Amino acid sequence: MRDVTLSELDGFGAATEAEEAFQMDEDSFRVFYERTARPVWAYLSRMTGDPRLADDLLQEAYYRFLRASVAHENDAHRRNYLFRIATNLVRDLRRRPGIDSVPMADGAHAIDQPDPRSADVAAGAARRVDLSRAMARLKPRERDLLWLAYAQGSSHQEIAEMLGLKTASIKLLLFRARRRLAALLRGGRT
Amino acid sequence: MEAVAFGRWPEHADEGLTAHVATCAVCGDLAEVARVLHDDRDAACREAPAPAAGMVWWRATIRARAEAARTATQPITALQGIAAACAVGLAGGLVSVAWRSIDWTAWMDRLGGLVGHLEKRRADIAAVSALATSHALPVLLGLAACLVLAPLVLYLTLADD
Repeated sequence: MRDVTLSELDGFGAATEAEEAFQMDEDSFRVFYERTARPVWAYLSRMTGDPRLADDLLQEAYYRFLRASVAHENDAHRRNYLFRIATNLVRDLRRRPGIDSVPMADGAHAIDQPDPRSADVAAGAARRVDLSRAMARLKPRERDLLWLAYAQGSSHQEIAEMLGLKTASIKLLLFRARRRLAALLRGGRT
Repeated sequence: MEAVAFGRWPEHADEGLTAHVATCAVCGDLAEVARVLHDDRDAACREAPAPAAGMVWWRATIRARAEAARTATQPITALQGIAAACAVGLAGGLVSVAWRSIDWTAWMDRLGGLVGHLEKRRADIAAVSALATSHALPVLLGLAACLVLAPLVLYLTLADD
């Protein structure tokens, strides 16, 4: 089936008709986007290991969020739903054949970005390089669990909703993943 | 976790907490993992090249309009497919009716008479066949080229830019 051209789009109604299919108006979206875009991009970038891919997935995640007909209780619920969409996108990406699912964060780039909170910039950058190597050796679900819990600060219930798991199992899964990552981090330094 | 989240770990953390973490393997793992991941998230958020909200909104709008347009044209495409299938079915039915109405016995008798007639003129036929064979190669090549090029020409003609 052929693509529709922009001139043909004009014949199908104004942009407002498309915007009516979205679950929020533009002003509300801007506020929500400013609060969530960077954390979502960081999550996508670290889980895929590809910042350019994270750009595409970010757009896709927000599009699916806008088109979803889901009632949200509050802003936190909205944010969790967005992270759930992002998680599903990463999972779909990993299932594609030929996709290298091992994330390798750019250690050299990390070194160029100074950590303003730490007086020892080199130590902070070295920790991030160690982390990227250690994360690459974890299973995809372990990476998701650890990032959502300790980088994003999500609760067990929120993580369970995002990953489609039972809340009761999160604590044990998280414990195992954390123990494995700590061992890898310690092993990387020796 | 709270100490890590608010940037107090480990330099500004409570002494009791620090002492406990130093001796507890579980809390030690937790503190180390939480700190490293939290720092990495902060670094990733600082470097995040997130596009402007307006750009993301605009792209989403364009895509929603395009999808609405495709949905609107789907019934037309479906009807075209159904019409084509009906035409093929009707043609097949007509061919089937015509096939059954042919008197094959009369045709075989006529063919037998033709073969008998040709037998008498075998020498003439052999001469014509030899001539045709010597000039057959260019004809065959021309036919093959038509068979190969015709679908390609049709595709290029019907394909949109």
